[in-house]
Amino acid sequence: MAKRIGVYVCECGTNIAEKVDIDQVIAAISPLKNVEVIERYKLLCSEDGKEFLKQSIEEHGLTHVVVAACSPKQHEVTFMNVCEQAGLNPQLFQLANIREQCAWVTPNAEEATDKAIRQTRAAISRVLYHDPLEKKEVEVSPDVLVIGGGIAGIKASQLLAAPDRKVYLIEKTSSLGGKVKSFSKLFINMESGFNLIEQELQSLVENENIEVLTESEVEQILGFLGNFEVKVVKKAEDKELNFNVGAVILATGFDLFDPKGLPQYGYGKLDDVYTSLEFEEMNIPDGPTNGKILLKSGRPPESVAIIHCVGREEKDYCSKVCCLYSLKFTSMLKSQLPSAKVSHFYSDLCVPGKSYQKFYEDTKELGVEFVRSAKTEVIGSGKGITIKYETETGAKGDLAVDMVILLTAMESSSDARKFAEMLNIPLDDKGFFVEEHQLLSPVASAAEGVFVIGCAQGPQSIAESIVQSEAAAGKILSALIPGRKLELEARVSEISESFCLGCQTCVDVCPYGAITFDETRRVSVVNEVLCHGCGNCAAACPSGAAKLKHFTFPQIYQELKEVLR
Amino acid sequence: MNKGQKVPVLVIGAGIAGIEASLLLANSGRNVYLVERTSYIGGNVIKFEEVFPNMDCATCMVAPKQQELLANENIKLLMLSQVEAISGSFGDFSVKIKKRARYVDLENCIGCSACFDPCPVEVDNEFEEGLSKRKAIYIPCAGALPNVPAIDTENCLRFKGQECQACQEACIFEAVDFTQQDEELELKVEAIVVATGFKSFDLSKTTQYGYKKFSDVYSAMEIERICASNGPTQGQIFLQSGESPKSVAIIHCVGREEKGYCSSICCMASLKLSHFFKKKLPEVKITQFYSDLCIPGKAYQKFYEEVKESKVDFIRARVTEVSQSGKELAIKYKTEDGKESTLTVDMVILNPALEPRADSAKLAELLNIPQDKDGFFSEKEPDLTSVATIQEGIFIAGCAQGPKDIAETVAEAEAAAGAILSLSR
Repeated sequence: MAKRIGVYVCECGTNIAEKVDIDQVIAAISPLKNVEVIERYKLLCSEDGKEFLKQSIEEHGLTHVVVAACSPKQHEVTFMNVCEQAGLNPQLFQLANIREQCAWVTPNAEEATDKAIRQTRAAISRVLYHDPLEKKEVEVSPDVLVIGGGIAGIKASQLLAAPDRKVYLIEKTSSLGGKVKSFSKLFINMESGFNLIEQELQSLVENENIEVLTESEVEQILGFLGNFEVKVVKKAEDKELNFNVGAVILATGFDLFDPKGLPQYGYGKLDDVYTSLEFEEMNIPDGPTNGKILLKSGRPPESVAIIHCVGREEKDYCSKVCCLYSLKFTSMLKSQLPSAKVSHFYSDLCVPGKSYQKFYEDTKELGVEFVRSAKTEVIGSGKGITIKYETETGAKGDLAVDMVILLTAMESSSDARKFAEMLNIPLDDKGFFVEEHQLLSPVASAAEGVFVIGCAQGPQSIAESIVQSEAAAGKILSALIPGRKLELEARVSEISESFCLGCQTCVDVCPYGAITFDETRRVSVVNEVLCHGCGNCAAACPSGAAKLKHFTFPQIYQELKEVLR
Repeated sequence: MNKGQKVPVLVIGAGIAGIEASLLLANSGRNVYLVERTSYIGGNVIKFEEVFPNMDCATCMVAPKQQELLANENIKLLMLSQVEAISGSFGDFSVKIKKRARYVDLENCIGCSACFDPCPVEVDNEFEEGLSKRKAIYIPCAGALPNVPAIDTENCLRFKGQECQACQEACIFEAVDFTQQDEELELKVEAIVVATGFKSFDLSKTTQYGYKKFSDVYSAMEIERICASNGPTQGQIFLQSGESPKSVAIIHCVGREEKGYCSSICCMASLKLSHFFKKKLPEVKITQFYSDLCIPGKAYQKFYEEVKESKVDFIRARVTEVSQSGKELAIKYKTEDGKESTLTVDMVILNPALEPRADSAKLAELLNIPQDKDGFFSEKEPDLTSVATIQEGIFIAGCAQGPKDIAETVAEAEAAAGAILSLSR
């Protein structure tokens, strides 16, 4: 079929016309091959302008359209929609930016006109090489896999489950509730963590749209947003389960830094040195001491040292919640043992946000000592313990105590690496899952459809973890609607099977995990659901097998040729 | 808007939280009314040249979200608008909105700015903390979105009874339209997200630091704008004398004692300002006066260490007074061991506490949700989630709930959207 290009030059009021001599532009492009019609218009993006454009496309039976006007950021979509309304595939359109890139930035009118001519010729030359790409749609599963049965995973499951959306909640241990179930009190309202979990579990059991799989391990997850195939093994029954989901939430929680590696704290050597989790357990009503705070000798402590930031230097980050739960510990100690002397050894008090300073002040009123110490050591002395400390100015002191609680850093869960590898998502240098964007996409991961929430992603409070559960639910409920298909980007990459050498360079440079290597055919394959059309693979491919649709070598060459001639 | 069967959702405030919540709700197929007090979207975040800890360019980071919002057909953006009344309950709220006229047509205006020059009025630009002037027809800063000016009726001569129509004459697109009228809208909505953001603590309440008394004492927000390439000095840092500062003191926690809480982000913001200064003026001497360094979470300590390595001094002390000493400023401070000392510098930056907006009390009353003693909206269960309020169907997100960083703000916006989408099935 003969090619018939329409070229429309917009005056943009005076914005383009004042600087660019549009008559000259028209004179320069008139002789070009395939140009069927050239028009100038006062303001093409106006309603009248769009109607004019539509009629002109229809009237002249155009096969391609070039508009010379503003930035594609401004009106590319506007004019593509007009093409579509006129019955033309919108990909057979090109916008030449003669406003932001010419009229507005080039002071000399002659130069601006020359640039506008080059830009317009480039667009004409390029558009002839455009392909009529079609948008594709794929079916998706609205179901969700939640890995980790702590408070974050439980909350996310409850928010997501519905008659048209099933949730699989996988927990590797025999019971749900994670670490929170062993917290006898939660800051700042001092309610029971155990009771909270009990209530949550009750509503979980009643929800028939949630399938809870305890003592289960996720063995494999293959696929992508909307279509993940999951293999889970129920260890106790040695039974394998296979199902499909549309999204995956990782809520694998945290581990505590092991203070045994730091001999200065005496942990594991001295009797009454505890980690924060051990102290929590001591306070559970049906725990080993029936909720009583006791020394190994069986008597209650008269003096307790709480040592902050254990492992902070080694981990190289602040664990965010330790200052806060140290205040909770103080309150627990003082309510059970009002006469006990409690001393905090800390470097910086981190109580961010609107509520915590007051919590700190209220706690301080219970009669607690806060010692700012740059260096703290726990030393055995006879049957007791001595805390040796050194202030920032070098002053030294010591204090004899009965009991020591170490506020150990939170670190990433030991499972994190396994899931990072399974889902091909990155971990940071501390071993926590990395967000898609640290600020603007705080619960999504680099793999579309995979979400990272709670302490698996970094130290945070219970409330913050639950907010992240709600956030992941929000992202999923917004993107995966039962019965709605997923619309795919048209301008994606494709890899020619006959040219691909199988070097897999493209697999390494793809930031979206959209390229996999087909071992049997020995070629790389693009997943169009995951590809965002960034072009990394096309740039990196040594054999020219990878190309980005709408940004192919001939298209770019044609454009450059005219700009540079 | 979408012909969905479901009742729309109302989002109040088009800062980063309001934008994110609106986008999630709209992409799920819901219709959204997004009500914004000012004539632009993006809130406080777009005032920052760069944001910690990765020093992303804030306007570049937010622009795609803003574009997506403006193009989304499910979102009805109501700018220059305020909520006047609310009644009803979850699923069936009635909301009265007062929408002031912009006097510039959003469709016809192409943002060419030809109307600015002819306007005879010049007033302080509040977006630039009063450090530059604007006209009565204006956009707050270059790159603001939507790129369509508004007429400020408090200062426009025409609204003072004079016969000026300079802007209208300069506009060849017939976009300036004095016939526009303020409107009252009655909306029916299912649920409400409140994301009205924060303001800085009023530094005139702390006289000891010499703010507005000595010319080279600045607020952190003023310095943010001075460091911004689209700001009043195009990113150049000068003293009032016109010289570059050789020594700068950054004072943390200004207003913390008065407010009684830690504003959560100021330590990191102070580190960021040090980073800006060191980049622009490598020889400048920077001293930070702080009490406790609060840099919570996995990502911030590294940033602190990088800044510290760029030879920034950290002094743990209480600043008792800033005074003029010749051409310089003298900072009197007391360390924890009780020792008093003085440091002289060219420039002082005060990093103030964050507060809820002054009009939040009115909004709290309309919404029938409680505020804490400082005016932040209160959540229902502080130990469980920060977004649900005691009113079913009303959620809070971002700094209107309490001081927090951008990541936490966005997470709350997504959480509020998640809670609504989960509730309303």
